[in-house]
Amino acid sequence: MTIWSTMRRAIAMASRSLIRQPARATLGVLGVAAVGALLLDMLLLSEGLIVSMRDLLARTGYDVRVTATEDLPRNGPRLHDVQTTLATIAALPAVRSALAVRFVDAEVNLAPDMTIDVSLEGVTGQAPHPWTVLRGRDIRDAGEVVVNDSIVTASGVAPGAELMLQADCGAGTEALPQSRLRVVGVADFPFELTNEHTIGTTLETATAACGAEGPLQASVILVTSAGDPDAAVKAIRTARPDLGAATNEQVLGRIQETGFTYFRQISSVLTTITLSFALLLIAVLLTVSVNQRLGEIAALRALGFSRGRVVADVLCESALIVGSGGLLSLPTGAVLAAFLDRILKNMPGIPSELHFFVFQPSALELHIALLAATAVLAALYPMHIVARLPIAATLRDQVAE
Amino acid sequence: MTDTIIEAQSISRVFQMPAGPVTAVRDVSLYVRSGDYIGLRGPSGCGKSTLLHILGCVDTPTSGTLLFDGRDVAVLPDAARSLLRLRQIGFIFQRFFLLPMLTAWENVELPQSEAGIGKAERDRRTRELLDYVGLGARADHRPAQLSGGEMQRVAIARALANRPRLLLADEPTGELDEATGEQIAMLLDRVNADGTALVVATHDATLAGRARRELTMRDGHVERETSR
Repeated sequence: MTIWSTMRRAIAMASRSLIRQPARATLGVLGVAAVGALLLDMLLLSEGLIVSMRDLLARTGYDVRVTATEDLPRNGPRLHDVQTTLATIAALPAVRSALAVRFVDAEVNLAPDMTIDVSLEGVTGQAPHPWTVLRGRDIRDAGEVVVNDSIVTASGVAPGAELMLQADCGAGTEALPQSRLRVVGVADFPFELTNEHTIGTTLETATAACGAEGPLQASVILVTSAGDPDAAVKAIRTARPDLGAATNEQVLGRIQETGFTYFRQISSVLTTITLSFALLLIAVLLTVSVNQRLGEIAALRALGFSRGRVVADVLCESALIVGSGGLLSLPTGAVLAAFLDRILKNMPGIPSELHFFVFQPSALELHIALLAATAVLAALYPMHIVARLPIAATLRDQVAE
Repeated sequence: MTDTIIEAQSISRVFQMPAGPVTAVRDVSLYVRSGDYIGLRGPSGCGKSTLLHILGCVDTPTSGTLLFDGRDVAVLPDAARSLLRLRQIGFIFQRFFLLPMLTAWENVELPQSEAGIGKAERDRRTRELLDYVGLGARADHRPAQLSGGEMQRVAIARALANRPRLLLADEPTGELDEATGEQIAMLLDRVNADGTALVVATHDATLAGRARRELTMRDGHVERETSR
C-alpha cells in the first residue's frame, strides 16, 4: 500500500468528515480565512512600500540622483553653479542625460483673498521632464508652466490661463514679488503628494521667482545612465568628489534605513501574532474533534486501519481546513489591503502614487508556505494523540463511559 | 495454513494500576478453529473483553504466546498486525462505533477501500452485505438515522467486509433490547453457519448458550468449558 494511496483515501475521508460536519468546518475555514487575510496583508505591507517606491523611481526614467551631500533629495543643501555641474555630468560617457531640478514652496493667488499652497519644480537640462503631460503641451520657454489636476480642480485654470505665484524660498525672501506665469498644459507628477498642488516650470523661472540672480541652484540632478547606474555613480564621484551620487537602489536603501523599517517591524510582529492565532485555532479544533472521536478511531484501528492511516486522516483534515481558509483569504486579503491602503495613503508626506500594500508573487509564495507550515504544526498534537492511542484501553474506556 | 486460526498458550494480562497490579487474564489457553462458535461468558470485570482484545491482536499478553496461523503475533510489527486485523479478523463492538458522518453503505465500504479492493468489487460486496443483514433499503442512512439494532447490523456487515476468518464480538447485544438482541443473535448464528469462526464475549447466558463451545470465566481465568 503506497503512501499516495493512503493519502488519497485520507483526503477523501477528511473531505467527507468536513462536509458532513458543516458547523465545525465553517468555523475553522472562516477563522483561517480571517487570519490568512491579515497574514497576506502583513506580507504585502512588509515589502510593499519598498516595491512601490522602487517602481516609482524606475518609472521616472532616471537611475542616478546627484545631490550636494549624501542626504536624500529635498532634505539637504542645494547644488550651486548648476549649469557647470550639469555640463560636467552630462559629458561623462557613463551618462546618457541629466536634468537639474529645484523644489520651491510657493503660493498661487486665485482671487484677492484666496491663495493655495503649491510645490514648484523648476527643471533644466536635456533629459525628459519628470512629469507626464496629460492635456495641452509641455513647457518650452521661461514663464510657462504645467500644473497638476489638483490645481485645475482647485482653481479651474486651463491651458492658456495665467497664474500669479509668490515663492517662499527660505529665510530673507518673505517679501518676494509675484510672478506672472502662463499655463500651457496639465501634467501628472509621479512624486506629488495626495492632494498636493504641483507646478512644473523651467529652472530659470523658478529661480527668478525666488528673486535670485547669478549661477542657478538646484535641489537634485536626475541622471539617466548609459546602461550601468553603478558605473555612472562611480564616474560622477570621480569627476565631482564633492557631490553625493546614488543609484535608485542606494536611495531605496537610505529610505529603508530612515522610515520604512517601521512598517516592516510592524508587519513582522503582526505576522507572528496572526500565525499564532491560526495555529491555536486549528490545533484546538482538531484536538477537540479527535478527543470526541477516540472510540471511533480506536475501532478503526481494531478493524485494521494502520497507525499511519489514522494519522494521515488528521493531517488531511488540517490541510483541508487551512487550504480552504487560505483560498478564501486571498480575495478577502486583497479587499482588506485596498481598504487599508486608502487609509494609510492619507498620511502626510506620502506620494499619491506610492502604495503600502503591493502584490508580489514572493509574498503569495510565502503566504502559502506559512499556511502549509501552520497546517502541519497545528496537526502535530492531535496526530500525536491518534498515533499513541492505546486501542484496547480506549475501547474499554468508551464502554465504561 | 492450519485448521487452527488462533491459539493462545498460557496467556496472562496484567495491568499496572496506581493501587497495584491487576491481573485481568490469568493463564488462559484457548484455540479457535475454522467454523468454531465460542461463547465467552462471565460477569463484568472477569476478563472477557481483555481476552477478546488479545485474540483480536489489539492488546498484547503480558506473558504467554498468541499464535495466528501458527505465527507468533508478538513478533509482528504494528503495521503487520494492522494488516492481519484488516484481512483476517472482524470486530463487533457493544457501542457499534460506526462513523457518524458516513452512511451505512460508506461504513461497510470503508474497510474494503482500506484493503485496496477495487470500486466495482466494493460496490458488489457492500450491496451483498447490506442485503445479508437486511438493510439494503437503508444504505443511504447515516447512523443517527438508524435504530440500535440497525446500527449493530451495519457494524456486523462492516466487520464481514473483508471476508475475515475470525469474527470477534464484544457484548454485541449489550446496548439492545431483548427482541432486537435476539435478532442480532440470529444474525450471528447465520454468519457462523456461513463459515466464519465466531467468538462472542457476553454476560448474557442466553447468547453465550447459542455457541457450540462455552467458556465461563471468573477472575481472569477459564473456570469451565462446555461443548455442545
